[in-house]
Amino acid sequence: MGAPDRSPATSNSMQRVKVYRLNDDGKWDDQGTGHVTVDYLERSEELGLCVVDEEDNETLLLHRISSDDIYRKQEDTIISWRDPEYSTELALSFQETTGCSYIWDHICNAQRNLHFNSLNNDTFHSMNSELRELPAIELSTLPLILKIVVESGITDQMRLVELIVANQDFFKKLMDIFHICEDLENLDGLHMIYKIVRGIILLNSSQIFEKIFGDELIMDIIGSLEYDPELSHVQHHRNFLKEHVIFKEAIPIKDPLVLSKIHQTYRIGYLKDVVLARVLDESTIANLNSIIHANNALVVSLLKDDNTFIQELFVRLKLPTTSEESKKNLVHFLHEFCSLSKNLQMVQQLRLFRDLMNEGIFDVIADVLQSPDKKFVLTGTDILILFLNQDPNLLRSYVVRKEGIPLLGLLVEGLITDFGEEMHCQFFEILRCLLDSYTLSGAAQRETVVEIFYENHLSQLIDVIELSCPPEGLYPLSNKVGHSGVLKNRSIVKPEILSNICELLCFCVLHHPYKIKCNFLVNNVIDKVLLLTQRREKYLVVAAVRFVRTILSRHDDDLINHFIKNNLLKPIIDAFVANGNRYNLLNSAVLDLFEFIRKENLKSLVKYIVDSFWDQLVQFEYLASIQSLKVKYEQCLDDFGTRGTITNVLDPRKRIEERALEKEEEDYFNEESDEEDTATASVSNVQKAQSSPVLCNGVAASYPPPSPRPGGGLVDYDDDEDDEDYRPPPRKQSETVEEDEGALYTLRLKRKPFHKDKESEKVKKQRLGKNSKTKDGVFAALCSTLSQAVLPNKNAVSSQHSRPHPLDGNKSSEHESPKEMDENALKSSTDDGSSSLDEENHTEKQPISSKKCSDPLLKPSDNRQLNGEDCSLIPPNSSPEMTVNGS
Amino acid sequence: MSDLDRQIEQLKNCEPLKESEVKALCLKAMEILVEESNVQRVDAPVTICGDIHGQFYDMKELFKVGGDCPKTNYLFLGDFVDRGFYSVETFLLLLALKVRYPDRITLIRGNHESRQITQVYGFYDECLRKYGSVNVWRYCTDIFDYLSLSALIENKIFSVHGGLSPAITTLDQIRTIDRKQEVPHDGAMCDLLWSDPEDIVDGWGLSPRGAGFLFGGSVVTSFNHTNNIDYICRAHQLVMEGYKWMFNNQIVTVWSAPNYCYRCGNVAAILQLDENLNKQFCVFDAAPQESRGNPAKKPPPDYFL
Repeated sequence: MGAPDRSPATSNSMQRVKVYRLNDDGKWDDQGTGHVTVDYLERSEELGLCVVDEEDNETLLLHRISSDDIYRKQEDTIISWRDPEYSTELALSFQETTGCSYIWDHICNAQRNLHFNSLNNDTFHSMNSELRELPAIELSTLPLILKIVVESGITDQMRLVELIVANQDFFKKLMDIFHICEDLENLDGLHMIYKIVRGIILLNSSQIFEKIFGDELIMDIIGSLEYDPELSHVQHHRNFLKEHVIFKEAIPIKDPLVLSKIHQTYRIGYLKDVVLARVLDESTIANLNSIIHANNALVVSLLKDDNTFIQELFVRLKLPTTSEESKKNLVHFLHEFCSLSKNLQMVQQLRLFRDLMNEGIFDVIADVLQSPDKKFVLTGTDILILFLNQDPNLLRSYVVRKEGIPLLGLLVEGLITDFGEEMHCQFFEILRCLLDSYTLSGAAQRETVVEIFYENHLSQLIDVIELSCPPEGLYPLSNKVGHSGVLKNRSIVKPEILSNICELLCFCVLHHPYKIKCNFLVNNVIDKVLLLTQRREKYLVVAAVRFVRTILSRHDDDLINHFIKNNLLKPIIDAFVANGNRYNLLNSAVLDLFEFIRKENLKSLVKYIVDSFWDQLVQFEYLASIQSLKVKYEQCLDDFGTRGTITNVLDPRKRIEERALEKEEEDYFNEESDEEDTATASVSNVQKAQSSPVLCNGVAASYPPPSPRPGGGLVDYDDDEDDEDYRPPPRKQSETVEEDEGALYTLRLKRKPFHKDKESEKVKKQRLGKNSKTKDGVFAALCSTLSQAVLPNKNAVSSQHSRPHPLDGNKSSEHESPKEMDENALKSSTDDGSSSLDEENHTEKQPISSKKCSDPLLKPSDNRQLNGEDCSLIPPNSSPEMTVNGS
Repeated sequence: MSDLDRQIEQLKNCEPLKESEVKALCLKAMEILVEESNVQRVDAPVTICGDIHGQFYDMKELFKVGGDCPKTNYLFLGDFVDRGFYSVETFLLLLALKVRYPDRITLIRGNHESRQITQVYGFYDECLRKYGSVNVWRYCTDIFDYLSLSALIENKIFSVHGGLSPAITTLDQIRTIDRKQEVPHDGAMCDLLWSDPEDIVDGWGLSPRGAGFLFGGSVVTSFNHTNNIDYICRAHQLVMEGYKWMFNNQIVTVWSAPNYCYRCGNVAAILQLDENLNKQFCVFDAAPQESRGNPAKKPPPDYFL
């Protein structure tokens, strides 16, 4: 369209028109055919239509485009108007519709410019149509001002901003008129002022914002925005701000600048979120947010640099004479203060939090956590969460100190305390964050926290479960005293608390596999947790199933043997059978567990399940998963049959390079047998080698090799027949000398050697965590086509096919603000106008890279989900053929 | 009037519940949802609704057009939250109706019913703003984990938020998913919530969304044939006309957020099925400006800083 002049062929046909004129008889006379152009009329600034005859080049028509609304467009090819000069109707009939709409657009544009010029005429415009000055601000000029504000083009908008900023009295006068209109109840005027103010705000000028958000103006500005003509009722924003909003001062703030900024921030936020929520565009919202952000940062940093202020705060907090009420206010203030410090730069915020810690904020919170006022307690936990979001090591470093130890106890206590109606998931979050072993920094402190937790608190949690899940559905006698005595009077615990404990235990299984192993095997923890299957609440039963699934996902021989020896799947099977044919979450969760066992080729478990429970399970044979389990069992039997032995099926899954290392261990563990059926060996080896990069698997495999039994000084729990097959965790050779019978406790206390192990384990875990979970099904298909020869590279193969760990806390993704991507995509999709728009095409990689890491507390949970619990079948990057084969 | 009925009335006025009420509601909902199956059976007559995305007043239009719950049975295909101004009220109202009339309303999970997605697209921030803490978000996202993954109407119409998965050829395979988890990044559960039908691909294709797959007409034909169903009903994609058939009426997209994000200019639709599974699409527009309350984002009335 832009080239009509240059290419005569197209331009000719595009511009080709017949000119008609309505004669006195009411008929259209053909005036001739020619080419139409829009151009400045000779010696004038005015645009006109000109038609030149195609044959003799004579001017057929010369028409000055009028600002009046006289033009009509008909049937896409005709433009007609009543011409004031010819005093009759004229019409142009276009050969092409594009030509018609092209000229039509020109006419409309020219009209728009004319409108603007005539409106402001020469007073407000220079000759080149630039806005020169603003009209006097009076009631009568409001329509004119409104037009200028609303209809300016982009260059005029910039000029308008300059004019408004330069005019010292602009807003004062405007607000004076507003008050007059309000007094006179002049609604038209008020509506106009609303639109003017709204339009000015939408100019999105920082200079203007600075003016109108000043103390003198802001309330009036908000007042003028109460009269939205589109709403049937007048809003009462000023009333809310004046009457209902309370500014609390826990400690009097003396600096007037700080005070003014505090109020201003609140009001700008109110303007943005309430008054103009539906009106503002994205860029204006962003600008307002940055003002709020800067204000908050200023307030916090002025207050934090005011030494006397912070000191006074803490003195009052610690003073025994301070009333309960004002202490609460102080803590609430502290909460807001910490929460606003997010607006500071990272380094500054960290410094502030360190300062607050040195002032003793954690002592204060420990105090708060003991308050009988539950809501108040939760404010304390919220502050802790803010600290953890910033740097978990601050709280860890406190908790490992002598004076800090009680705080951890209070947090555990909080987790198992009934908060009645209040939500109290914070305790769970805080504990999870403290115990999170996937973070790299502060390893030493974290180990100590973990140590303390397992020494002092784990059993406490287990006791809660045990006491609330009596066998045979009877509630326990309340005289049974818990491990640490805290349970004396706690007879019945809310199910949500049990659910939280169970979830925390699952978390621990994934984060401290080693500790968990010792603890679970020695203390029969698993049996106790499985008591949850007897609860009436089905979600607790499901939670117990999930707990089992999490443990099994570790592929730990000892734990699996523990399950078999102690018949620990019985409660699960019982619950499944009792659930009958109901297809609910419990049904699915147990089937998922069976599928997992089958697909991961945990043969000993398959054998155990079918041997022990087939009588009960046979009624469910119509379910594919149960059927396949049986088939698997028969395959295993065949295997056993040919070789005449029972295989410790877990060993081959370990990576080949580790096999050499662990040979000794295997030899020992495989005392029963370590034989595989040759017929399946090649496939299953491939399969297992494939599945080894799975996180839990890898971690399990990454234990250092234990010393062989005779020289190892392994613990023999002859007093506990449940554990007779317990293989204590591996140790370094150097230690073996010190260890002796019952040395497990020494072992547990001996941190040092373990640290090393844990470190290596951790590193491995992190590496492995980058590989998403893969399933043997898919890779079996893939790998069955690969020869044995490529086996050593199998890990590489699998990592190519799996996608990177999406949640590696990749904060850099914040730069590529997902919201922005979102908006752009949204715009383009709207502009596009096509009928079926993918609402979230822009979310490409959304679940992968655009994770906003605003809440580090979530990471553990996400990790858990990703690593341990997802039961995904298909790596998305795999080819469709593969996936079809795999499924 | 029971507490629950009172809460429903309150939510219908777009007033959010107190934290303690949310907690109680979620615990009740959990007990109901845990009993539901991954492929929840639904009887006709029923009205199927697509994405809502926190557009509370538009959802009220939906109920105006479709009839109130429980007089009309409803099946919502997920994506209750994010993007709109009222994710909290929208989801809580639906959840309260679920608890009050468990057999009358079915809620299945959409890709936005996820911890990760809600942190980016608004629900997280909305909870933080309306309650001053993220506790409500935590409770709601915990509930998301319990939501069913799909529904089957009279054994004939399979309903799901996104679409099909290469890992799923029969409906029975969906049974073995332990759905109580965050939406994974791949696998059957992810695909059901993320996939899209696409004209150009035959078979399976990579999805530009980065999760789920694109699937073509042949996939739908064989799925419908294998499972002996008439057609698939799903949501997940904006359609300007509110609904859209694809692949020779083998799959239909229903979209129930009019003027999506308050600016897309689309109409919305719901699919009404009578007891004989006769279809009627009901198209509706966004609620008029007047009927919308002030955005209920009021900041807390007292502040220290």
